[in-house]
Amino acid sequence: MKYFGLIRANLGRNKLRTALTGGAIMLAVALVCILLTMPAGMNALLDTISSNTRISVHNKAGIVYSMPYAFTRKVRAIDGVAAAVGMTWYGGAYEEAGRVTFPNFAVEAEYVGDVYPDYKIDPQQLADFKRYRDGAIVGRQTMKKYGWKIGDRITLKSTVWPADLDVRIVGEITNERAPMLWLNREYLDEALKARGGSGLGIVGVVWVRAADPARVNAIMRTADELSRNSEAETASETEKSFFSNFFGSLQGFVTIILIVTGLVALCIVFIAANTASMAVRERSGELAVMKAMGFTRGIIFGTLFTEAVLLSSVAGFLGVGLTLGLTKLLSAAAGWNDTLGPLGAFIVTVPVIVEGIFLSLFVGMLAGFVPSWGAARKPVVQILHEVF
Amino acid sequence: MSLPLSYSIRNVSARPARSLMTAGVIALVVVACTLFLGLISSLRHTLVSSGDPLNLVVMRKGSDNDGSSQLTLEAYQAIKYFDGIARTASDEPLVSPELVVQPFFRTLDGGRENVLVRGVEPIALDVHREVHVAAGRMINPSSGEAVVGKGVMGRYQGAQLGSELQFGRQKWKVVGVLESGGSSFESEVWVDVRELANDAKRPLPYSGIRVQAISPEAMRAVRQRIDDDPRYAIEAQPETDYYAKQAESANALYLLVVGIAVLAGIGAGFGAANTMYAAVQARTAEIGTLRALGFSRGSILWSFQVEAVALAVLGFLLGAGLAVGLAELIQVLIGGVGFSARTFTTNVVTLRVSLGDLATALVLAVIIGLAGGLGPAWRAARLRPIEALRKA
Repeated sequence: MKYFGLIRANLGRNKLRTALTGGAIMLAVALVCILLTMPAGMNALLDTISSNTRISVHNKAGIVYSMPYAFTRKVRAIDGVAAAVGMTWYGGAYEEAGRVTFPNFAVEAEYVGDVYPDYKIDPQQLADFKRYRDGAIVGRQTMKKYGWKIGDRITLKSTVWPADLDVRIVGEITNERAPMLWLNREYLDEALKARGGSGLGIVGVVWVRAADPARVNAIMRTADELSRNSEAETASETEKSFFSNFFGSLQGFVTIILIVTGLVALCIVFIAANTASMAVRERSGELAVMKAMGFTRGIIFGTLFTEAVLLSSVAGFLGVGLTLGLTKLLSAAAGWNDTLGPLGAFIVTVPVIVEGIFLSLFVGMLAGFVPSWGAARKPVVQILHEVF
Repeated sequence: MSLPLSYSIRNVSARPARSLMTAGVIALVVVACTLFLGLISSLRHTLVSSGDPLNLVVMRKGSDNDGSSQLTLEAYQAIKYFDGIARTASDEPLVSPELVVQPFFRTLDGGRENVLVRGVEPIALDVHREVHVAAGRMINPSSGEAVVGKGVMGRYQGAQLGSELQFGRQKWKVVGVLESGGSSFESEVWVDVRELANDAKRPLPYSGIRVQAISPEAMRAVRQRIDDDPRYAIEAQPETDYYAKQAESANALYLLVVGIAVLAGIGAGFGAANTMYAAVQARTAEIGTLRALGFSRGSILWSFQVEAVALAVLGFLLGAGLAVGLAELIQVLIGGVGFSARTFTTNVVTLRVSLGDLATALVLAVIIGLAGGLGPAWRAARLRPIEALRKA
């Protein structure tokens, strides 16, 4: 520790260079952290929105391929199923917005609360949803966006079904990120029949909550066996797998982004190594004098090495700080405009912070090692010869 | 008196290790930026270049994509004979009723993606003038045949000319390949509209109608007439607007990539400045000598800037070569890059590094070089000859 003053003085000897090197490492660490945040944030997002006991049962051919409504009852009867609800895309455009701005589904009011206990919907509100045919439950994100309150009436014009519906908001999904709206399936069914149709005979996805995570696989198998050789064979999957498939085709982008992350990390090592070797080369005369005075190789190596590591780790901390700031900025940007929404998915997780700091330590060590080792090893006489 | 150009250039080659280090930093930034820019411009090309300036997309009011719209047969029949709609040589109106669904396709590695499948009538190829059958032939109605876009070919199990492709509830025989100059139609599969409606069991036969007008004026008139029609709750919009709106789903990605490029650029600028500073410092005596010999401050400043640009160009050349190679490698290793548009269907983007991307990267590299070189060059030019010589 008594050499700390020396290290600090050395860092301060060329302030501009120290600042430039530190700045470069800081920016690079911030970049790597932001890029790492993308997959990490996606995973964290998947974990927060999905439960390990929820299963989606949908047509094997695709989400847009429906199943007969009667199949919902069969799934509900499977052993180990705690609750099951049939959901059908309504595709309602909110009148004022003029187009579909949030997902909205026709659901079975009597079952939906039991499938989503983690959404923490007020029991009284759920009871209202069951009681009032025209009731709707709306996610907080959408409630806020349009300034709706419980009790408000809104009109939805379906882009899929020949039935526009007036619904009354009776409840709220308290999750900040929940955009969806649920309306009563029977309400839509009646509206379709009133227009001379045969009603809502289909269901899009049956969401199941298993009583026990250990039963999930058995339930998925049973559901798919039940539908085998019917006109709508199903493919069941866990909720996490369902949502991750939505992002699945971004895999190519993630690959490219990771390649570039690697390049950027390489860039940092380059810069730091360059600076460390410059710093050592400049001081070779003075280092030789120190050695001649009796400072050991270990001390020379230690102070130079610590200098490089100290610089890069301070820069690393600043870089992580910058990442936190930038992701805040990105989520703010996500609020400006619908099309920028995905930017809100950048969540800095603890592992990302740790990785960023370790990266900066690693860069410092890697960059500091070779020049420090070289300086410590070089024979004194040779350097003094070179200098004088 | 000005310093000869060769002085700057020789300075670069006289210190190969340091020059390569600086150029290497710039090269890495060029690689990162070129790949990102290439990704953006390829994506843009795919999403924005779709659509015919004379075509209208007719959908259910409120729909923002034809995958979530449903239309009746009556709506189609009503529109078909509106005035101002172009006709084929055999006097058939250029009105193409279509059904879009997004079934799962199995990728070669067993994953699944939603692919846009468009059910069409034979008239579709006349209405979508940008699309043509590049290999094989167009489908025959009611024969279980499919034509697949160039981007879809080889990406999914069975997506080969002559193979059987499994999607929806049945298998389809691939009889042709569609090309549309890189636009998003190349990420689609086309089949017979009635067969698709049957397979998907949709309550209404169509999801949208594409209409070709005879002129821009006629297009406005047809659009007005469709929008004002109270019977079917439908609306029309120019096809180019429709695809431009779809392309907005890439906005977040654009912003992100530009932000990353800027950060990387500043970081590399720091690194380059660092090396340049060191280079100037090591040559203090030399600069003092030059000043004592009578070279002006301006000419020294100029000479160091030239050196910086030479380094930047060297870095650009290294980086550009590497980036083009990497883009090729990525193309070979992972094929087209899938991108989910707002419709949640997969657009297959071919990663191409265009000359424009390279030019932008060159400008960036030169800016980094100039900005990084300006400080040290300024400092070098300001040195008083006496001091500089004494330091030596």
